[in-house]
Order: sequence, then C-alpha cells, then structure tokens
Amino acid sequence: MFVDFFYILRDSGIPVSPTSFLRLHKALAEGLVSNLDDFYIAARTLLVKSERFFDLYDRVFAHYFRGAELPDFKGMELEAAARELLNEWLQNPEALANALGMSKKELQSLSPEELLKYFMDRLKEQTEAHHGGSKWIGTGGFSPVGHSGYHPGGMRVGGVSRNKSAVKVAMDRRYKDYSVEAPLTQAQMGEALKRLRRMVPEGPRDNVNVDETIRATTRNAGEIEIVFDRSLRDRLKIILMVDNGGWSMDPYIQLVQTLFNYARAQFKDIKFFYFHNTIYDYVWEDPPRRFKPQRVEEFSTWDKDTRLIIVGDASMAPYELMATDGSIHIEERSGLPSIDRLHMLADIFSHSAWLNPTPRRIWPMTRTIGVIASIFPMFELTLDGLEQAVTSLMSKN
Amino acid sequence: MSGENATFFSGASKYVLDEELAKIVNISMALEMPLLLKGEPGTGKTMLAHAIAESLSMPLLVLNVKSSLKLVEALYQYDTLTRLNDSRFGDSTRDVSNIEEYIRMGKIGQAFVSEIKTVLLIDEIDKADTDFQDDMLDVLDQMEFDIIEIDKTMKARTRPVIIITSNAKKDLSDPFLGRCNFHHIAFPDQDMMRRILNVHFPSVDQELLEICVRTFYKIREFQGIEKRPATRELINWVRALRADPDFRPKDLIQGKIPFLGILFKKSTDYHQATLQSKRLRI
Repeated sequence: MFVDFFYILRDSGIPVSPTSFLRLHKALAEGLVSNLDDFYIAARTLLVKSERFFDLYDRVFAHYFRGAELPDFKGMELEAAARELLNEWLQNPEALANALGMSKKELQSLSPEELLKYFMDRLKEQTEAHHGGSKWIGTGGFSPVGHSGYHPGGMRVGGVSRNKSAVKVAMDRRYKDYSVEAPLTQAQMGEALKRLRRMVPEGPRDNVNVDETIRATTRNAGEIEIVFDRSLRDRLKIILMVDNGGWSMDPYIQLVQTLFNYARAQFKDIKFFYFHNTIYDYVWEDPPRRFKPQRVEEFSTWDKDTRLIIVGDASMAPYELMATDGSIHIEERSGLPSIDRLHMLADIFSHSAWLNPTPRRIWPMTRTIGVIASIFPMFELTLDGLEQAVTSLMSKN
Repeated sequence: MSGENATFFSGASKYVLDEELAKIVNISMALEMPLLLKGEPGTGKTMLAHAIAESLSMPLLVLNVKSSLKLVEALYQYDTLTRLNDSRFGDSTRDVSNIEEYIRMGKIGQAFVSEIKTVLLIDEIDKADTDFQDDMLDVLDQMEFDIIEIDKTMKARTRPVIIITSNAKKDLSDPFLGRCNFHHIAFPDQDMMRRILNVHFPSVDQELLEICVRTFYKIREFQGIEKRPATRELINWVRALRADPDFRPKDLIQGKIPFLGILFKKSTDYHQATLQSKRLRI
C-alpha cells in the first residue's frame, strides 16, 4: 500500500527510510489512521524528519492524493539557486544596473520579482552551455546577465571568485558538488568536533578521583583522604569571523557555524562575525552585514586571551587587500588598507588562526593568500588542518 | 479529558492544543515511539510534556540535558563518597558491603523503575553531543540498561511516554531521527495566540487582548533582534499591562509601548527595540 507514494517522496529528495515506512504500515494496521487527514499527519510525523521538507511533503501529498501538479523538483532547485544568486547580486545595485545596461532609475522601477523573472527567462531559453554571444547567459558574452560580460571589469553575477561563473552555478548546480569535494563535510562533523574538544584548558580541582582517594586513604591508615582531579572546565572565549561574501565560501559557512555551535557548550563565549572577502573598518554580527556593525578598533578592549578564528578563502584582487580604499562598501573609507586592519587584529589577540577551505596546494597561485598567511597562521579547513589550528591556538605562547 | 479513554490525549487545562499535534502525540503513544519536537523557543515544546502528564495523570520526569551530561548520569549514579564516609564512620543504617544501597537512579532510571507509566521529558537534547544522543536512544529502544558496579540489568517495568525537545537549527543525526517521530511546532499565528491568551486570562478585556496581540506581532518583526519575544514573554507582558493602573490601550496604538524590558531581555535587543518602537504605529 502506498508504495509509489513512498517512492515519489524519495525521488523528490525527502530522505525517507524503509523502516519508517514499515512503521507507517504498523500504524495503519493498528487502526490509528481512520481518514486522509490522519494519514497526512501520521505519514508526516513518521516519515519526514525535518521541517525543511515539510513543504515538499505537502506538495507531493497534494499530487498523490489530490492530483495536483507535481512540483518540478529540478526547476525548484534552479529557482532557489537563482534567487540566492540574485539576492547576492542585489546587495550591489550599481553594479547590477551596469550589468543590465540600464540606468539605476530604470532598475529601481523593476520589482525583485520582475528581475528574477527576467533572469529565469534567460535561463529557460538557454538550453546549452554558452560562451559568447549577445543574448544568453554565459561567459564572456555581451549578455546583460552573466559572468565576465561586456563590462570592462569583468562583471559577474555571483561575486568575485574566479573560475566559477554565475550561470554554471545556477545551471549545473556545481556548488552542490563542491560540498562533496569540500575538504570538510557534514559527515566529518563528529570527527571535527573531537578535534575542537581539545580546546579546553584546565579547570578547578573539583572532581573526585575514586581510585586515587582509596589509595591515599589506605596509605593514610584509613583516615579518609579525598583526592580531586581537575575538571575540564572551559575558560576560552572565541571570536569566529566568517567570510560570507562570495559564492566560493557558501558551502562552508553553514558547516563552520554548525561545527562551532555544536562545540559552543565547551566555550565560555563564542561570537560570530561576518565580513566580505577581507576585513576593513567593520565586521558584522548579522549575516546580511547590515544591521549590527562592529568597529574593528573596538576589539582592542576585548579580552586579549580570546581566540580569534577567521574562516575565509583569502582570495581577492590584491588592491582589495593593499589599497587605502580597497573596500567595495562606500561607507568604509577610513583610509586604512585592509592589511593594516588584519595586522591590528593579529596584534590584539595573542592566539589567532585563519582557516582556509581551499586546498593548500593551490595557495601559491593566489598572491593574497600568501600575504594573509604571513599575518595569521593559516590552516586548511580539513580535519588535519583543524587539528593543527587547535594545537596552535592552545599553545602556551 | 473524558474519563472513558484514559490513554488518549486531548489537551490540558492551561495548554491550547491544536488537533494536528494531538494526533501526533496519540500516534506516538500508540506506536510507543519517542516524539521529537522542534520549534523556536516559546512554542510550547516543554509545556506539551507537562500537559500530557497532567491530562493523563501520569508522573512527569524531566531530564534537563546539559552539555556535560553523561549518559550514565541520566541512568544511575553510584554514590562513592557516601559509601566511603559510611565505611569510615559506620554510623548510618546502610549496609556498606551492599553497593546497591548506594546506587541512585537518574531520571531515565526512575522512569524505568516506576510502578506506573510515566511521561519522560528529555529537554533540549541538542545541548548534548551526538554520542550521548545515540546511546540514549539505544537505551530507550531496548528499555534496559546495566549497572556495572553491581552487575545487574535494569529492565523497564513500563515503557514511558517519551517527549524529546530540541532547539537546534541543525538536524540531529540520522540514526537518532530514524528512531523518533518528528514534529515541528510553528510559532502560533494570531488566532492561536488569542486562544492561548484567553486560556491564561479568562476574564481579559477583548479589546486589550486584540491590541496586545497585534502590537506583539509587529514587535516580533523588529530588525536586528537576537532573541525575539515568544509566548512566555507575551503572557508576562499582558500580565504587567493589566496590573498597571496607568496603562491605556490607546497608548499602544500610538506606539508607546510600556515594559519593553519584559519582551526584550538582552540589552542590545532592548536598545534596538526602544529605537524601533518609536516609529511603530499599530
């Protein structure tokens, strides 16, 4: 019964397990389900284990039992990718206006939906990978939407990184693969966490060591002598700064955050900040980098013992790092180049580390990685790299 | 609660239950599976267990999970220090050579040895590490555990009703999820919230209630807030408003919101909310 329902759920990408399906049948057999509404609820609570799939479940259910049109799963994913892409893009409206070849005014008259539709239409019309030309989205062409288009600077839809064009990300869903190829993946979370566990300094002596106590007591001729061990008490504060600016970082942001959120309990305090590419006058507490700016100077009043961990690919145009007005954000015009800011942070905090998700072997190919690695100890975002980083962060000097 | 079917959950005195959740609870109880509840704070995850215990008149055992908690502590504890003390001074009624007298049951252990069926609430499971989570479900699955000190297997007399809550944004591990039923409690909508308030304030002025709920949902949309106010805060806030003789519901319409500190408990949130509430018009 409902076997095809099970398979449609599976095909739609909801991770349903056969065990849970059998359990649903047990519920049916026991008469716990008397009508379709019951079935809807029972099947969901038994089969679907995350609220993220609830919407998809609803759509599959409507299709199976009410004959509604089955959602085009591929289309949906594409839409989500495109939407994300556009959001990224919308943070930089001037460049967008340039890229679309229209004035800022014209652009403002378009609603985000219209923009998205325009973008989606382009994507749909395009059936094969495309490089050059004047209408389609692709690389190196004249199209208003796409990567390395007519704009002299090589305007891209997605952001700044090389080699990964916007359309390829949207069409081929390449960044999905990136998360598989990524040095550190969700599956390794447990292992990674074990590495982080070592970031625990010694606590007060308040754990009774029974064996030692007995030994000491007998040696003391029966007079009780209680021996205490140090309990592992965390006193570390952590600042985690994450580059959430570009596509290249996307697969890792969630990962790093979950990792540290899981480990949160063992730290005294852990603060997340976000930046784009590199650090100028501000870092932000909120991921959109809009509402809660934090002046970099103010870190000088923080506890010097706080461990600073920066996660980023450290890859950018050299001027972004070196020039006095390197920031793409207009409000950051203090006249200090980013490299000075990084030096300042490295001076403030006695222990810091830079975790880089790009593999070590390609580091020499990007100049800015070398420069930044001379400021912060840089480690790969792999299990080994994490281990080295923890060792370096826990070292006495 | 009707008397006819004593194992059927249909709500409790201070808990507004939606039909869907009631069915899920009943299915989980019938299949004897733990029910995992997710949802943002203040959606009544913890309260549900209290409500089930109350309406089915079962004792409630609460295991508050902490990051440092070890599974064995949730099962039992061997009180070595007391035993050592007794052996030295020998002035207690306990038999020092009988280790069993120094074994104390943890929350899960208590649920197992209880004569009658209990409700076991395992609160905020996401705080513990994954090993704890998986091992715990093993114990709950097999309904038994070993006390190694006395080499004895404790078997559960009755299978408790198990409610597990989690605040985590991230999913728990797959084996864990595989053994639980799952439900996500959404934040109550305005209608539901009115019903909840009516349960807590049976004689409340409907006009006041209406304006409070509307203001509350506006306030929840403030930008840059770290901890958004939830049901608990709203109830306390309404209580405060009703206790204040100077308060007029009209003030809220004009964006004068008293007692913001009840709704926003972090100083940065409070500051943000004060700024943004000045611009608020209901």
